[in-house]
Amino acid sequence: MPRTLNTLAERAAAATPQAVARRVRGLSDRAVAWAFISPTIVLLLAINIFPLVWTIWLSFTNYRANRPNAPVRWIGGDWYTDILTNPDIWVAMQVTARFVIASIAIQTVLGFTLAWLIDRRFRGHGVWTTVILLPMMLSPAVVGNFWTFLYQPQIGLFNYMVSFVTGVPPSSFQMLGDVTLSPWAIVIVDTWMWTPYVMLICVAGLRSIPEHIYEAAEIDRASAWRRFWSITLPMALPFIMLAVLFRGIENFKMFDMVNLLTGGGPGSTTEVASITLKREAFEKWRTGYSSAFAIILFVTVFGLANIYVKALNRVKQR
Amino acid sequence: MRRFFRRGPWEAVATGIIACGVVMLMQPLSLTLYSWSFATTLTGTVMFVVVSKFPD
Amino acid sequence: MPAAGLSTAHSIVEPTPLARRIAGTIVIAYAVLALIPLVWIGLTSIKSPPDSISYPPKVLPWVDFEPTIEGYCNLFTTRSRQTPEYIASLPPADDRCEALARGKGMVVVGPSNYVPRFVNSVVIAFGSTVLAVVLGTLAAYGFSRFRVPLKDDLLFFILSTRMMPPIAVAIPIFLMYRELGLSDTRLGMILLYTSVNVSLAVWLLKGFIDEIPREYEEAAMIDGYTRLQAFVKVVLPQATTGIAATAIFCLIFAWNEYAFAVLLTSGSAQTAPPFIPIIIGEGGQDWPAVAAGTTLFLLPILAFTILLRKQLLRGITFGAVRK
Repeated sequence: MPRTLNTLAERAAAATPQAVARRVRGLSDRAVAWAFISPTIVLLLAINIFPLVWTIWLSFTNYRANRPNAPVRWIGGDWYTDILTNPDIWVAMQVTARFVIASIAIQTVLGFTLAWLIDRRFRGHGVWTTVILLPMMLSPAVVGNFWTFLYQPQIGLFNYMVSFVTGVPPSSFQMLGDVTLSPWAIVIVDTWMWTPYVMLICVAGLRSIPEHIYEAAEIDRASAWRRFWSITLPMALPFIMLAVLFRGIENFKMFDMVNLLTGGGPGSTTEVASITLKREAFEKWRTGYSSAFAIILFVTVFGLANIYVKALNRVKQR
Repeated sequence: MRRFFRRGPWEAVATGIIACGVVMLMQPLSLTLYSWSFATTLTGTVMFVVVSKFPD
Repeated sequence: MPAAGLSTAHSIVEPTPLARRIAGTIVIAYAVLALIPLVWIGLTSIKSPPDSISYPPKVLPWVDFEPTIEGYCNLFTTRSRQTPEYIASLPPADDRCEALARGKGMVVVGPSNYVPRFVNSVVIAFGSTVLAVVLGTLAAYGFSRFRVPLKDDLLFFILSTRMMPPIAVAIPIFLMYRELGLSDTRLGMILLYTSVNVSLAVWLLKGFIDEIPREYEEAAMIDGYTRLQAFVKVVLPQATTGIAATAIFCLIFAWNEYAFAVLLTSGSAQTAPPFIPIIIGEGGQDWPAVAAGTTLFLLPILAFTILLRKQLLRGITFGAVRK
């Protein structure tokens, strides 16, 4: 795997401690290592791996969770063929894609801009950074639920503020009930919540740029504009990529906020993959079918996670 | 032969295949591409796991 | 993050005072805008139901509207409508909530489910945090100090478990818990959250323990300590900050979690996040009560965030931000 976790210290230590270790009393290092690691592995095997294997098995059967006593029949890869040729699921994936792309594009631009401004180190930037971070720490479900109140057409604060700024009557548009607006309603809440995350990573990226590079550019009399495009942006890019990948994975599997804001509606305009999966698994109780869908989503996330960890290790080495 | 099985380039290829599969899964243009997306992502992911065992 | 002590003051390309002031203005404007929804939650919680839905919105307490504890009363109690004659026949109300309810033609008939749900949240969040941190510290030490076969694979596997889509995990967990009788139990939720949190705990704590020089333990072991004693007496005290930071982060995850909670609990083990959205009053959602429940639920996290900001950053970013 791409995970070069070997720090210098680790490599140095791997070469040295054997002699020391052999001389000590008590448990051998090997025994200690396994005694320390195995509880975690056992827990993860029981609550992550066993269920995963079970899901894989279920995805090849016609099992239904609301009929536990019905005979279970092996049906091979039918569910996979079904899902991968089903235009409705395809549409759900496109809805997910639009949500992921829109929210990440906005958050990246906004987050990077804020990070760049914070890096100007104006007076009190620490305090204001903390204030900006607050939405990110809160429960997306609980706060998302409150946003449905802000989005109420006649009485909601959001509609009032929009109408205050633009002059459109506040009851003339429904953020959550309208086919074209409801995807944006979700994007707005997601942006409000997660721009701070992108900003945070970008601040770390900007702070990691060594000063001497700017000094060299200064000697070359590079303009501020050129410094930004040829130093700041390329040097911060691995961090931006990291933030984009992480938010991409998180938004790909987004459930809580969408479920509370629109529940997939109106119609199925905001029905992202997780909502479809929840409907199939916990409303229609098509356990076999939804297991196959879950595996497809899982493999996608797992693939992206590989790339993410590679990016993370690259950033950590800086 | 040893030079051929290096990690860097192979990992890049696997990353590309995974990215391709994800794009195929979510693109709005062709149902056929969508149908093959899972196979592509799975191939890329398995490949990633295998090639990460190659020496640096 | 100012106090982090990073020395990247770009000495030559220092921004001009004007640039700084403009940057500050924009950032502050964004921060104020981002704060509005949070402030609105707090304000709504002290409004009466008619004030909460008035148009134009009422903003300033004591100026635009009279603050009331009605929202909090409605959050903590269940009420039933009674005839005026019946209410008149009752002895005088002994607390403010009862008095408020009678003013609306209702009487308080008992406590609501909010407190038990809140207690569930506390028990499950703390239980899973303690378990995850204990398991995570041990495993992180094991991974940090010993040559474990397939170490990188195991570490990646541990991290990837956290990235699984919750709904995908919930399907088999639902079936498994049904078989084992763990459905809708606190123990089941604690185990589930522990398994999600332990992955992050291992990942983060390994970073912290890697930074503690091995020479300390080796010196202690040459002095006659066993490996275990060296771990307890040398490594643990050094890792306290890291352990605390990890614990706070696990706590926040478990506190905020919704997807598993809404799918796997319905009654006795239900936490607050799936409960708050279904608080309803007469004729639809009782927004002041929802806002009151939300406020109380968010306050601990707001306090944590403000007090422990620096320690949290590393967790949020999976260790990408170190300072």
